[in-house]
Amino acid sequence: MLAKELFDFRKVINDQGIIFCYSGYITEPVLTGIGEALKQKLYLEEADKTTMRNIFAIFVEQMQNVIRYSAECEPPDAEDSENELRYGILNIGTEDGKFFVTCGNKILQKDVERLSGRLGDLQEMSPEDLKALYKKKLRSPTEETSKGAGVGFIEIARRSSEIIDFGFLDIDEDHAFFALKAYV
Amino acid sequence: MNNIKIEATDRSPEIDFDFSKNKFSIRGESYPEDVTAFFGEIIENLETHLSGMDSGDVEFNFELIYFNSSTAKVLMGLFDTLEEAAEGGLSVAVNWYYDQEDDTMEELGEEFAEDLEAATFNMKTLEG
Repeated sequence: MLAKELFDFRKVINDQGIIFCYSGYITEPVLTGIGEALKQKLYLEEADKTTMRNIFAIFVEQMQNVIRYSAECEPPDAEDSENELRYGILNIGTEDGKFFVTCGNKILQKDVERLSGRLGDLQEMSPEDLKALYKKKLRSPTEETSKGAGVGFIEIARRSSEIIDFGFLDIDEDHAFFALKAYV
Repeated sequence: MNNIKIEATDRSPEIDFDFSKNKFSIRGESYPEDVTAFFGEIIENLETHLSGMDSGDVEFNFELIYFNSSTAKVLMGLFDTLEEAAEGGLSVAVNWYYDQEDDTMEELGEEFAEDLEAATFNMKTLEG
């Protein structure tokens, strides 16, 4: 029955400690809207301000990564189109007394190695190394493949209280699913 | 050059550029949809103005609550521009205002300011 179906679905989400769960087309207005709700929720949680700001910062960076880079896109051949919609999943929740922000989206198989290498490198870096890389990248010309400053992942790594977690799942010949988790 | 005054929105900062007084400020939150579209012309105007000055005092105030990584790139470029202006003979004061409870914003200010030598840099706290 309908209520049970949705309730069970909600329970699955709740059992994972998820407070916000968005699965759908992620656009800038979606970011704005969820961002506002997130701010209010964090304020009500009475988490300390630094924690709140870090969660929000990671949320923005992850969302903007999906908006810019998700390979699941409508229309399918959209490139820099104002009217494209990009699909992703974003979860924010708590686990063992910490907050987490997770995002997931389809990417092209050919990008797996590059992303994996980059994120793997970030996992090994100390806060000082991350800071140095951050500044270096801010000053260097933006990479061709980048739609932003090229430092989103570094920002996420810096704002997290633990080493970032990431993974890839093969979907088909051309696509993989990319997931990233940050704890605060 | 005409002064630039742009009101803050929930995702973009207030811009107050007074070219006659050489007093500039960026205030609020910054994670606009398109950072280039928002900052592009503003920065260009500022750079043109500064390069046209032989001498004089310049005051730049940053009062940011949050900014995303795309904005960080703009800010880094801005700091470099201000340092260049100071090296060129202008008397440049950069003020970084932050909430005294916000360690991150304090750290970011210090980081951006690390490479300022000719320009003066001041950290200023705001009560929370």
